[in-house]
Amino acid sequence: MKGTLQKVMLPTILVILAYGFWISPDFKEIAAGVAIFLFGMLALEEGFKAFTGGTLEKILKKTTNKLWKSISFGVVSTSIMQSSSLVSVITISFLGAGLIGLSQGIGIIFGANLGTTTGAWLVAGFGLKVKISAYAMPMLVFGVIMIFQKSRHLKGIGYILTGLGFLFLGIHHMKEGFETFKSAIDLAEYAVAGYPGLFLFTLIGIFATVVMQSSHATLVLIITALAAQQISYENALALAIGANVGTTITAILGALSSNEVGKRLAGAHLIFNVTTGLIAIAFIHQLLEAVDLISAYVGIAEADYTLKLAVFHTLFNLIGITVMIPFTNHLVRFLERVIKSEPDRYAQPKYLNESALEFGDAALEALRMETARVYAKATDVIAKGLSLDKKKIFSDAKLKQVIAQHARAIDYDIDDVYEHEIKHLCSAILDYTNKLSSADPVIARQISRIRMANQSILIALKDVKHLQKNMKRYIASDNPEISGEYNRLRQRIAKVMRRLEKIRASGETSVTSILSLDALKLTLEKNMGLLHERMNELIRDGNVSAEMAISLMNDSNYTYSIIHNLIQINHNYLKSEEGGETEAEHMIALNREEIGTVLADNLEIAEKR
Amino acid sequence: MKFDNALKKKLLKKLKSYMNAEAEQLQQEDDGLSKVLKKLKKKEKHLKALIAAERDEDEREMLEQELKVIHSQRKKGITLLSSLRKKGNK
Repeated sequence: MKGTLQKVMLPTILVILAYGFWISPDFKEIAAGVAIFLFGMLALEEGFKAFTGGTLEKILKKTTNKLWKSISFGVVSTSIMQSSSLVSVITISFLGAGLIGLSQGIGIIFGANLGTTTGAWLVAGFGLKVKISAYAMPMLVFGVIMIFQKSRHLKGIGYILTGLGFLFLGIHHMKEGFETFKSAIDLAEYAVAGYPGLFLFTLIGIFATVVMQSSHATLVLIITALAAQQISYENALALAIGANVGTTITAILGALSSNEVGKRLAGAHLIFNVTTGLIAIAFIHQLLEAVDLISAYVGIAEADYTLKLAVFHTLFNLIGITVMIPFTNHLVRFLERVIKSEPDRYAQPKYLNESALEFGDAALEALRMETARVYAKATDVIAKGLSLDKKKIFSDAKLKQVIAQHARAIDYDIDDVYEHEIKHLCSAILDYTNKLSSADPVIARQISRIRMANQSILIALKDVKHLQKNMKRYIASDNPEISGEYNRLRQRIAKVMRRLEKIRASGETSVTSILSLDALKLTLEKNMGLLHERMNELIRDGNVSAEMAISLMNDSNYTYSIIHNLIQINHNYLKSEEGGETEAEHMIALNREEIGTVLADNLEIAEKR
Repeated sequence: MKFDNALKKKLLKKLKSYMNAEAEQLQQEDDGLSKVLKKLKKKEKHLKALIAAERDEDEREMLEQELKVIHSQRKKGITLLSSLRKKGNK
């Protein structure tokens, strides 16, 4: 949905803007002002990022343990950063990391809504009265000099200064634009009075905020337009309400790709801002009277509508917080009920249920099924780690062709899958085997085999991760020797995977499936010998650099280990159930030494030939 | 109380296996090894036929290699079986 919306919206906005620039140079200046302002906000965000990862986190942890504290934190941090979206993003990241709960997160969002109103105060009280562009220039110069410094903190300060400089410069251009725009077209003529006007301008406010992705920018635009008397005071109020609602739509769009925690927080944001907006619309007359009263009390002139707008903005957000605070816990429960966490299908064991533990055989079967599931996932990871497609590996297509079709390295984060899926499942399996520990030597032997199979899965994946690093670099190398060697390593692993799959598929019918693995072990040892010979040749002839040779040496060892562990997984997993013939197969299976003897005999015969 | 013959046989078998658990275990291992060895022999024959019919040299080499592995496995199996039987005779 987000993608479609963006696809339609972007060209529309660009066309409207281009048309606007063509017909009015003043509109161009206002739009440039908004653009510079938004760029300033980006720079400001960048600057504050330099200080995250330390101070900000420490403060956040200490200051959000109570609702009032988290609200205050939202107010203060947003006032300092002048960006509620940055505060929301940080809050979502903390929620995701589990450092704070949803109610604390909601508190910060409430506070951020109030904190963002300080922007209106700054612009209305300071920005319009002082020639702020005079401050902008030195800030930009000092800021840019500091950006070029090596120190992370100095860089951060540089970005903050540049950001503020651009914010001021943007406000200046918006102000100038509206001043001259006024002489050409008087937008105030289009002012709509009463409730229709209220709803219309609320919608315009929502739209403008969605377009600019910043309620702060919309508010500054409203204040500068109001100062130039381009819009009426009532309509400006409606626009401010709209901006408050509109800012949540950007949060919702952002949360669409986020996890359930982000979605819940965006939901809280939406409920809060819509409720606040509805309260403001319903009690608009009472609010206006209250604004007049407060303005008179603090000494704001009757006709100073820009400052009155700031009072209004703060007041209705404050009312929103007061109304919503008693319902925070209800809101949390409601959101947790509506937006449920999606359990990760891979990370959760599918077969290991507690009830099966009481029946030894059922529990062993559950362990075997779960191990098979992890193995299926692991082979998928291995294939992707080698920039290959598992389906094609298991197909009847010639492996050389499959490798040639996948000549380009693909970015694939093995660590992520390892941490979130495989490791989690393997540890669940190991936990289960601990609960199942039996004094019966037969069962103990079967459990031990399943444990070893899982251990081999983990080792194989770690090795693929190491191999992936250089493989990505060399499979498409200009040096045909090194790319050939790395593609041979891929092919070798793929070949073993295919063979193992065939053995596994025939496992039900063939009683000697465990023994079929011995031929693979022999091929592995034989190929290692051949590879060492070829590697010596490559180095001797100077076909590969020393760096390449070292990488190849290490990676051939990783390849050996991957194949060895893949065989071990199947050796331990295939028919891990006890039985006369299975036990006999395990007894007959050749060990490494015996494989070595067969290999030596083979070589002797080959030499004689 | 009257026992029918089938029940008598069953009870006697149970008693025998209880009295002679180790021998039973050995017998099981013997059975397992014999069965696997028979299957390996069959597989060896099948492979020999395949090798004779194979024209592709690489493929034939692979099959020959597999044959050698099976041969070694059979050798190991036979040694295990004979030592098992010796143990049983003692």
